Amino acid sequence: MNRFANRREAFWHGIRDALGAPVLVLFAGMVGFGAMGRTHGFDAWMTGLTSLLMFALPGQVVMLEMFISGSSLLAIGFAVTLTSTRFVTMVVTLFPQLHRRDRNPLLYLWVHMLAMTAWAVSMREFPTISPKHRLSYFIGLALPCWLISPMGTVLGYFVAGWVPTAVTLGLVFINPLFFLLTFTDVKPWANRIAIGLGCLFGPVFYMFDADSSLLLTGLVAGTLAYFIDRRWLRPRPVEVQA
Amino acid sequence: MNADMQGWGVWLALSAACVGTYLCRAAGVKLSGHIHQDSEVFRWLSAVTYAMVAALTVRMILMPLGLLATVPMLLRVLICVLSLAVMVSSPQRRLVPALLTGTLLMLAYGVWRTSP
Repeated sequence: MNRFANRREAFWHGIRDALGAPVLVLFAGMVGFGAMGRTHGFDAWMTGLTSLLMFALPGQVVMLEMFISGSSLLAIGFAVTLTSTRFVTMVVTLFPQLHRRDRNPLLYLWVHMLAMTAWAVSMREFPTISPKHRLSYFIGLALPCWLISPMGTVLGYFVAGWVPTAVTLGLVFINPLFFLLTFTDVKPWANRIAIGLGCLFGPVFYMFDADSSLLLTGLVAGTLAYFIDRRWLRPRPVEVQA
Repeated sequence: MNADMQGWGVWLALSAACVGTYLCRAAGVKLSGHIHQDSEVFRWLSAVTYAMVAALTVRMILMPLGLLATVPMLLRVLICVLSLAVMVSSPQRRLVPALLTGTLLMLAYGVWRTSP
């Protein structure tokens, strides 16, 4: 359990883990977003700030698309918030694993750096880290991911146009591919079933209503997976016969 | 709509989107204070989260917006399957080789498509 000697070591190990696939994935995704902002005629400032302040790629893309199609501000705010509802449960499943002492109001600051990438890596690594080192590891992991994003976006914005389309194509594909690959590392059966069912239900619900489909898929597929696991898969406590 | 109006609109939309997204994160912090990681609620919420993330990933692959939509669906799925095969080919999980496989294949398709 004691992978690290102290918090500082945990922090630096988090940084080391970030400087690989996670930073690469966010960078690539954000370059793609920057290029998208440019081709849709947005301001460089605004495109970069979106990545710094929103830091939620799917929501960012939804915002751009809806703005171009002329949706009302209220509709944009509502749709983006709906796609971001995943953060509620992401935080709720990650932060209770932190040490009691770290669960203080400062978390309202750190939570802004949480995105799907850092969440997926933390969920995988936390069980092997002792609780008192988890927050430091998380900060080390999430900080570079967050900082690289506006840089990737602005770079993408300015290179769009003279970079061959083939390169942009490869870059925008890294994001979904990364999440798909991390699913193979998920251990609990309830979560594995939830992923399977989510893949099936997601597109179906998307046909009905795009904005609310993520939330709806999560609730339906997740609840179903939870009960399947609870009813059939979980090892039952041995019953003692009287 | 004149250019100035449009300029204001963009910033308003951005502010609304930022506030909405941060509120979701903050709500998570608020709620997480009442949840214990060994509880049934925690297990259920984990399943819900993974289902949401899975739905989002599948959406980005099957129903992408923008450039990726110009690649045939079958090819997108095929590249995903190949990358997954590289990933699970070792119990230690080859994340970076698998990522490179997918990215380079997509890049190769892009090059092949643009070549006369």
